[in-house]
Amino acid sequence: MDNLHMDALVVGGGIAGMQSALDLADQGFQVALVEREASIGGRMITLSKVFPTLDCCSCITTPKMSAVTHHPNIHLFTYCEVQSVQEHGAGFDISILQKPRYVDVSKCTGCRDCEYECPITVPNPFDRNLGAYRAIRVPFSTAVPQKAVLDPEYCLWCGKCEQRCPVDAIDFSQQPETFNIEANSIIMATGFDLTPIETKKEYGGGKLHNVIDPLMMERFLAPTGPYGRVLRPGDGKEPGSIAYVQCAGSRDDTLGITYCSRVCCMYAIKQAMLLNGALPLADITIYYMDIRTFGKGYEQFYQNAKAMGVEFVRGKVANINEDADHNPIVKVEMTDTGEIVERTHDLVVLSQGIVPASRPTVSLPLGSDGFISVPSPDSAPCVTKRPGIFVTGTAASPMDIVDSIVSASAAAAEASAYIRENNGRLEVQKEALYV
Amino acid sequence: MTTTQTLSRAELLKQLRTTHAESVKRAQELLKEQKKMQQELCAVFREKARTVPEAAESTGIPANKVLWFVAAMKKYGVVVEAGMCGDYPLYKKAEEEA
Repeated sequence: MDNLHMDALVVGGGIAGMQSALDLADQGFQVALVEREASIGGRMITLSKVFPTLDCCSCITTPKMSAVTHHPNIHLFTYCEVQSVQEHGAGFDISILQKPRYVDVSKCTGCRDCEYECPITVPNPFDRNLGAYRAIRVPFSTAVPQKAVLDPEYCLWCGKCEQRCPVDAIDFSQQPETFNIEANSIIMATGFDLTPIETKKEYGGGKLHNVIDPLMMERFLAPTGPYGRVLRPGDGKEPGSIAYVQCAGSRDDTLGITYCSRVCCMYAIKQAMLLNGALPLADITIYYMDIRTFGKGYEQFYQNAKAMGVEFVRGKVANINEDADHNPIVKVEMTDTGEIVERTHDLVVLSQGIVPASRPTVSLPLGSDGFISVPSPDSAPCVTKRPGIFVTGTAASPMDIVDSIVSASAAAAEASAYIRENNGRLEVQKEALYV
Repeated sequence: MTTTQTLSRAELLKQLRTTHAESVKRAQELLKEQKKMQQELCAVFREKARTVPEAAESTGIPANKVLWFVAAMKKYGVVVEAGMCGDYPLYKKAEEEA
């Protein structure tokens, strides 16, 4: 593939990356959007509903995914990884690795016949590994592009998918390919991960089947979840008592994560309200240090949850064990009375902290919290220390969806100004290089 | 597809199996284990509708693994839900096509 010339490269196809790409493309800029997964959508497409409006996440995300893929100024590269970034005057030379899908995307219709034919079932990370798919599959029902991808780690190379494919789209001869993009600016929208559940040994260290992370609960609450309803993963019981443990990985010196992850209070309250609807007889308890409801309509949302019967218990959870029936037992120190109490629940959700997701090798200074450093967070929250590279969404710091979208538009505005300011200079440099 | 193409594709698959020998071995072991478990689970769900703990007790497979397989089998139409028994959904084998 020849070098591609773009005005901007957006790294990451989650909600922030998509919004930045759309904003720039709508201004007439040529944008390359690079996503390492086989589909765009990021974390948001896995979520159930947004707070505080309780709007469906898919209903917000899928139109944006569709807009990205159909926009004439956006060049979408899925299943690709940024390998290196070299400065090139005021712009950049970016080397991209296209991982083989073993499927010819120009032929694949997304019919999933190959998936049904594949003999091996593997854990599905879209469902936090609680659900399953096949070694060759369309990543999820609303994936964009709606094309199959084969996982070589699980493939038996038996050829059954190839025999079944009605359009001859399976291509076992595909190899990893590297290509270059020249871009005048870069927007980093690489997203977040949760603090690993294994690090909280006192909360079971990931070994208790009925102690789960909040993204698992999002999948249970989503209509496309692994069980089609809320069940506890240990034995498929419909939980009658669900507890949330707040700050289970944030504001925690022992993990070196001293900051507040900002979204945990609100997503716990949101999930509690959704659980109240899905399981009207269930008791829902939230163990918290303090509740932070900073956004518009958030405090009212919290008050509504209390009015709906969600129990808020001010206390610090010391540890979680389980009884013979694998019911989690939460040992909590009540902050107001100093009393130590043990309570048994059917299911416990740990409100784990937010940490930056792994990023491609782009030499960018990081803050002490591991997020991409922003020298002037008050006046230019998307401008990094490296001219021409901007950051948005949870790659910059923990933030909710509303703030991620605002941040994405801000990053696009900064990139737009940078491109316009440097465009003349870049054109002159390009002429000098290629004449 | 011509005979030559079929042959070359068969050779390509053979070559890929050699290149990925380690992962293929792992996948083969996984497939063997999965087939055994799925057969056992299909047998108990064909007999009558059961909850996950009941199927776990009948087969000796841990309940969390049974649930994972049930989720997978439900997704691909092998088992279906058949009401509730207390706090647990019941699952049974889907109607097989004649």
